[in-house]
Amino acid sequence: MSSTPSPVGGPADGLAAASALRAIADRLEDAEVERAMRAGWSWSQVAEALGVTRQAVHKKHLRRLLMAQIELRRRNNE
Amino acid sequence: MNRVFDPPRLARLLVSWEIGSSVGRQFVVEAKREGAEFIEAEHMLLALAANPDSDAAKLLNEVGLDHERLATALHEEHRQTLAFVGMTATDTKLSGATALDSPPSLGTSAKVAVRRALIGSRHDHRRARLRGTDLLAGILEAEFGTVPRALAIAGIDRAALLARARRSE
Repeated sequence: MSSTPSPVGGPADGLAAASALRAIADRLEDAEVERAMRAGWSWSQVAEALGVTRQAVHKKHLRRLLMAQIELRRRNNE
Repeated sequence: MNRVFDPPRLARLLVSWEIGSSVGRQFVVEAKREGAEFIEAEHMLLALAANPDSDAAKLLNEVGLDHERLATALHEEHRQTLAFVGMTATDTKLSGATALDSPPSLGTSAKVAVRRALIGSRHDHRRARLRGTDLLAGILEAEFGTVPRALAIAGIDRAALLARARRSE
């Protein structure tokens, strides 16, 4: 292609939508992990539901959950 | 990681740049206003427009853009983007997670804009006198993404505005 593609229309719209959906998915995950942990879910249960490792959930969400003052279950209580 | 993007170094640069720490604080205000996790180029653009006395805001004003019109253009961009996948902004209203107490960090589009601003600045980088119009030019250099889409939807000639920002002394 010789000229620069437009930032609107064609593939640009689809790529922008993919980016916007990723941001929405991230916000949804933040909110729902918080909701689950508030309801007493364990790290492992949340991880399994998301299809990721327990370590990944812990790393991504621990700080937020501590800020939200949610009582987190210890590993040996899971 | 590029040293320019090292957060402490960036914070020092923001303070010493001509655009000043108040604009840096406004980046955070704009990002938090829309609940964004990162400061992106559109938040920087809104921050530049938020001070109507700045050279960058005056340039934007010359093509009919102020903070309110930019915000409207960005909302319209978001609406059209979601419409591509059959969604509306209402569909994406989520119960909010607890906000972190730390300020949002710079997202990719903002980092790229800063790098382009530094490269494009005619001023001596060692003096770190980056101006608002330099940052404006850095933001406007992006050919794809939220800002160029919003400008195109609003009928703004991005290339012409970029040329004016670059010429600005």
